Amino acid sequence: MTPLSRHGRLLPALGLVVLLAGCGGNENTLDPHSRAEGKITQIFWVVFGFSAFGFGVVVFLLFLGWWRRSKETLPFGGGEKAATGLVVGAGVALPIVLLVALFVYADLFAMKATGAPPRGSAQLTIDVTGHQFWWEVRYEGTSAVTANEIHVPTNTRVAIVTHTADVIHSFWIPELNRKMDMIPGQSNRVLIDATKPGVYAGHCAEFCGLQHAHMVVLVFAQPRAAFDRWLARESKPVSGSPPPEFTTKGCADCHQVRGTQAKGHVGPDLTHFASRTTLGAARLTNTRTNVAEWLRDPQGVKPGNKMPDLGLSNADVQTLTSYLESLR
Amino acid sequence: MTTSAATTYDLGHARPNGWWAMVLFVAGETTLFLMLFATYFYLRLQSRHWPPPGVDKPAVLVPSLLTAALVATSFAMQRAWRNGRLLNRVAALRWLALAGIVQGGYLIWQVHDFVDACHKEPPSHSAYSSIHLTMLAIDHLHVFLGILLTAWLLMRFATRITPYRLRTLQATAFYWHAVNVITVVVLLVDLSPHVG
Amino acid sequence: MAVASPPVRRRIDRLERIWAERPGVLGWLTTVDHKRIGLLYFWTTLVFFAAGGAEALAMRTQLSQPEEKAIGPATYDQLMTMHGVTMIFFFIIPMTTGAFGNYLVPLMIGARDMAFPRVNALSYWIFLGSGIFIYSSFLIHSAPDAGWFDYVPLALKRYDGGLNIDFYALGLIFNAVSSTVASVNMIVTIFRLRAPGMSWNRMPLFCFAMLAASLSLLLALPALVLDCVFLELQRKVGFHFFDVAHGGSPLLWQHLFWFFGHPEVYIIVLPAFGIATSIIPTFARRKMVAFPLVAMAELLVAFIGFGVWAHHMFATGISSSVLVLFGAASMMVVIPSTIQVYAWLVTVNLGTPIFRAPLLFIGGFITFFVLGGLSGIMFAAIPLDQATTDTYFVVAHFHFIIFGAAVFPLLGGIYYWFPKVTGRMYDERLAIASFWVTFVGTALTFFPMHIVGLLGMTRRVYTYQHGLGWGIYNLLETIGGYILAAGLLMIAGNIAWSMRRGIPSGRDPFNGGTLEWATSSPPPHYNFAVIPTVRSAYPNWDEEDRENDLLRLEDDELVLSTGHETPLSTVNDAALDRVAEMPPESPWPIVVAFAVSIAFALVLTTHYVAAAAFFAAAVAAVGAWNLNEPEEA
Repeated sequence: MTPLSRHGRLLPALGLVVLLAGCGGNENTLDPHSRAEGKITQIFWVVFGFSAFGFGVVVFLLFLGWWRRSKETLPFGGGEKAATGLVVGAGVALPIVLLVALFVYADLFAMKATGAPPRGSAQLTIDVTGHQFWWEVRYEGTSAVTANEIHVPTNTRVAIVTHTADVIHSFWIPELNRKMDMIPGQSNRVLIDATKPGVYAGHCAEFCGLQHAHMVVLVFAQPRAAFDRWLARESKPVSGSPPPEFTTKGCADCHQVRGTQAKGHVGPDLTHFASRTTLGAARLTNTRTNVAEWLRDPQGVKPGNKMPDLGLSNADVQTLTSYLESLR
Repeated sequence: MTTSAATTYDLGHARPNGWWAMVLFVAGETTLFLMLFATYFYLRLQSRHWPPPGVDKPAVLVPSLLTAALVATSFAMQRAWRNGRLLNRVAALRWLALAGIVQGGYLIWQVHDFVDACHKEPPSHSAYSSIHLTMLAIDHLHVFLGILLTAWLLMRFATRITPYRLRTLQATAFYWHAVNVITVVVLLVDLSPHVG
Repeated sequence: MAVASPPVRRRIDRLERIWAERPGVLGWLTTVDHKRIGLLYFWTTLVFFAAGGAEALAMRTQLSQPEEKAIGPATYDQLMTMHGVTMIFFFIIPMTTGAFGNYLVPLMIGARDMAFPRVNALSYWIFLGSGIFIYSSFLIHSAPDAGWFDYVPLALKRYDGGLNIDFYALGLIFNAVSSTVASVNMIVTIFRLRAPGMSWNRMPLFCFAMLAASLSLLLALPALVLDCVFLELQRKVGFHFFDVAHGGSPLLWQHLFWFFGHPEVYIIVLPAFGIATSIIPTFARRKMVAFPLVAMAELLVAFIGFGVWAHHMFATGISSSVLVLFGAASMMVVIPSTIQVYAWLVTVNLGTPIFRAPLLFIGGFITFFVLGGLSGIMFAAIPLDQATTDTYFVVAHFHFIIFGAAVFPLLGGIYYWFPKVTGRMYDERLAIASFWVTFVGTALTFFPMHIVGLLGMTRRVYTYQHGLGWGIYNLLETIGGYILAAGLLMIAGNIAWSMRRGIPSGRDPFNGGTLEWATSSPPPHYNFAVIPTVRSAYPNWDEEDRENDLLRLEDDELVLSTGHETPLSTVNDAALDRVAEMPPESPWPIVVAFAVSIAFALVLTTHYVAAAAFFAAAVAAVGAWNLNEPEEA
């Protein structure tokens, strides 16, 4: 799912290219795929440039001290007074000028440019709720509910509203925008405006317990038409009823399959489970073998997640897997 | 300081170390109370009703009178210190005893009311009850610590005065002034639901 | 002093007798000598440093490659939390204020002890008790596991039902008692015990740094204590401070925590600045440039540090107008640091520096501090902060600050004052080699974290998936971690060897400018045979004054050999106020600390009545302690 060669192009500066050459994630903060993230990346490189220069000056002065170690004057002449002047000039005046400039640029202008669309002005609003250790996704104005995989249309100002069902999580898609915490009793907003179709991943960014490491969210940016088709299908309930094992083995106590008797609200909505590419918050890819493995031993696959071992027989696992894989 | 050498010890001109230590300790405790007040108003800001429905606003009259009595002990502590400084042991002891009785009475009454309040609106009832009762409890703890100091001084001054004991008295008097000021502010914060 | 006259001999013999302490182990348990307490702090914190380092190496091993299975998530979370808690509360703070501050401040200001020697012992024993308390949690596999900043609701009983978080909250309250009394002691010592003549403008910059750090600690800790009290009341007794359902607020925890937590950063680095400003003048062989400016910067940074806490909470959804204010304050806090960096650099350039091991470590410190400081500026740019916060980019940043900028000066300081404390020289060649290994190890461990953080690796993950491109950086970091450990072991080896075999160093091997070099190495129990006169900020370079000390010893001027005494000065201009008697060694501090330790253990196990009894016993022990009445304190 990851284009392997992205980074070389986007980190042109200062030898970092070499360092970054071999990598292939799609969570690169400096590889923007939205206007907002573009702004953030720009700030990074500007500050990085000034910082590299400042760092160079300091290291240069250190080496100069070593190089001219038997001379009792400053390199460019002058004694105590010039030295104090240098401290005031380079240590007070210059940083004040640079910091004021950075403040105006980053904290005033860029804040606006990367900020979330205010209530009512977003073209699409998606509620994302953090759970230990997965993401619940609801599309405002529709009955679509899904988990861990968020579809958005490209070139659209989407407002993600973040909530949590339990502890604090943090929603972050590095290539699309800044992160936003999910805090009990509070709903925060963040803008997603992907400019190009693609899959963008993000890890939960606030420590949330045992499986914090495996709480991954995927954003699928797709052209408007494709997105609309996806949303229409996702909003529909399924027809046909689940096999009896779905109820007797306890699945329905925690999971919902819209259009059936299964109305649990503890775990992810499974209505269109087979249309998702991953399971367990991207712990595994969604294949028949993996689903079976998950059902057989959820605590082995993701220790500490909230799905208990159900003590399923091989036959149960086969039946349930077939059912789940039919939920397109 | 114009007291003659015959009637007092040479305590130097600068404030003693113990006094400085007490000032610093009080500075730290002041931050503690500022944080308590900040918490109180922060939680209040989050709530629609303060106190929540079903919980009475705190009483005004009795706590105010009690606090007034406690504040008055600052005067007694100061008198005790002045007399102690002049090696007037018996007079110092009397003022200390007077202060101690009022402080003790204050605390007993307050603790009684506190236990009562805990029964009426247990701290597990709401954030309001939690912060309101915690704030009072921490204040009472500071009064209790002060009473321990007063009691200790009463014991020590019962026999004789030494420079060490005098300094303890000086620092304790300062402690009580600070605790009294803090208690007044705690009372005001606690009564704040009555205004607005 | 080889040609001492008989009266001088007699005076010195008397001082020896008056200030001598009980021999043997018992002497260490009842000691009130600031140097011995400093050494107790030193060795204890070194053990905690080793523990914290072992935790770090275990984590680095687990993270060395994707989907590694060396350590499970439950253990990892405990290691990661305890690593942070240990390094901050049980290594750096007690090492700087406890070990370095305790040992050096009285020597630098020409005093014979701290203002409250028994309280000094108490702060050590309580510190030890709190350390044992929190580490005992490993015995029942219940170490704190919600990260060192322990956010609620994850830290509430509902999500963390064991004793883990109770160990955390109670352990930190316990530890704060020690730090609070230690700071009060340090501040009063600096206010009152400076040798006559040492007015503020002549006080060593190290002492300014310790003063600023102690003031910060004193005023910041109550916020943490209160937060932990709230947490325990909620966890153990069912109060509501942090849960929304009953009108509480999870962000309350964060506000209180960071109100402490940001000043904490300066509490950690200020003493390091102080060490740098001690080492640089000695090896550059000239006084610090812009001395008053640096002193002011040290105090200023502690002050501004209280106004920036919310920059740790930029991504919590606080309204952006508030964020902008905190962004501005966070930028202001840069200025005092740039002043100091340039003052150090210019001093080195204006002097005739000799690059021995201590100065090399300061060079490493400046490099890493500037690196960490510059990446720190990125966090004042709010949108960039919100992109990088809670990733390994932050982990890289604060390790360059905490390890690079706080620990490097400590390592340099260990070498620098080693001859003073032991009377022997360390091995210079091994020391220089250890510097380079440590330097390379540090850079290799923490620099790749910037990159992997930008590539999306979030903090506090116990493992990561294949195919994210994080593996190679993590492997480099792990290799760096082991190199770093090797460097630290070289330093430990150097110390261990030189303590026994090092060549005798004499009083002042580096020609230092401050007063600790004016007395013999190791210093006698009474520090100075005669309280030195001070007429500049580098009194040990005032040769006339130091020669005069010998004459004053002859004339019995401020020798104070008739009692257990030290002079007290006025706070502002350090005029001699009077001579005060100091308390003798005492068994009570350790008794009080023991009673308090038991009481905390009983609170942990919810035996409140028994706990109250032990607190009462501690109070009674304080009473018994005060039955011995020295003239002062």
